[in-house]
Amino acid sequence: MKKPQKQTIAILIVFLFGFVLFFIGTDGFKAYTAETARLLQLEKERPEFPQVTLEDSKGRNYTFNEFAGKYVMLTFVYTECTDVCPQLEMNLAEVYNQIPKEYIGTDIVFLSISFDPDRDDIEALQKYSHFFNSDEETWRMTRIEDKQELQNLLDAFGVIVIPDNSGGFTHNSAFYLVDPEGKLVEVMDYTKTKEAATKVHTILTGEGEGM
Amino acid sequence: MRQVKYGLLLYLFLMLPPVIHVSESIMVIHMHMQMPLLVIVGILITPFLKSRFPNFFSTWNKNGIPGMLLFLIIVIYWMIPRTMDEAITVTEIEIFKFISLPFLAGVPLRDSWNKLTKRGKNIILTCLSVIYVIVGGLYVFSPAQLCNNYLVAEQKALGWTSVFTALGIIVFLIQSLFIHEDEFEEADTV
Repeated sequence: MKKPQKQTIAILIVFLFGFVLFFIGTDGFKAYTAETARLLQLEKERPEFPQVTLEDSKGRNYTFNEFAGKYVMLTFVYTECTDVCPQLEMNLAEVYNQIPKEYIGTDIVFLSISFDPDRDDIEALQKYSHFFNSDEETWRMTRIEDKQELQNLLDAFGVIVIPDNSGGFTHNSAFYLVDPEGKLVEVMDYTKTKEAATKVHTILTGEGEGM
Repeated sequence: MRQVKYGLLLYLFLMLPPVIHVSESIMVIHMHMQMPLLVIVGILITPFLKSRFPNFFSTWNKNGIPGMLLFLIIVIYWMIPRTMDEAITVTEIEIFKFISLPFLAGVPLRDSWNKLTKRGKNIILTCLSVIYVIVGGLYVFSPAQLCNNYLVAEQKALGWTSVFTALGIIVFLIQSLFIHEDEFEEADTV
């Protein structure tokens, strides 16, 4: 009778071990991909936007302090991208259009940041602005020329960019919302524009009432 | 004892930094080559462990079911997209991979397999083929990039190789219904 008992205990231990392993490995059965784990982590950490020098499609240079006191909705792109980025930017435009005009520019600014500064010069950014009909003021196309600064930002916000073999990049995409203090507050699914617009709108009106 | 030596040699070889780099740079090689080789390391060193701790295996894994469950849990764990990503980016997870696959998958697999009945073996093979089809389907049909460190094309390739692995197991299962190995073994001994 003793031996089968030990075996039953062994089965129970194995199940328990499996449960704990999967529980820890998936953040409590919530994150099965590194991407969801990343989003959960970002919402917990709320990293600050690092010191970088942005250059926009009008050739202006400034740091992120330019937007102090305003929410910033941003995306990471490269202009030669043919699949995800145009979709990402179209969706960003949709969100932009769904936010009431009175907030745009005063409470919130939209920003697209290129992670391909070698090819995305001012001219390319200008073209990109025209393509998406951005006003280059409340929705700015920018690049970060300094590679180290760019990498710091990508690392802080958990953006992974892998060059593919045909001169493009594979990268994870999302809408990032940075609060007036420069801290990342939301990472939103870029495919759900309505949801994102509603969320941003709620945050903006909440802020308005608070002030 | 020769097997232990080969097992340890293979283990050390797989741990060499350049080998790790190459075997993890391509998704298919990561899941369908490096990981199985680590399991094989465990398979090769099992006789040595069994000779050192004979009681442990015979009491705790008498009919092979606990060991087989442990094997399945570890194998499924390493099929989660996140674990493959984190093995590359998080050192602790990488170390866990090098420990769990030989010792918690390879060793129990070899210890358990021959203890299972024919029916038990068939059940395990069926489970494995179902798991591989599901995981393969997931990687092939997922519209999103599941692993941040790998391209979508690689993800699809991995999915297809998983489906083919499942097919291989299914073919083996079907042939085992019609061809009885023991008949051949008997013929050999006569």
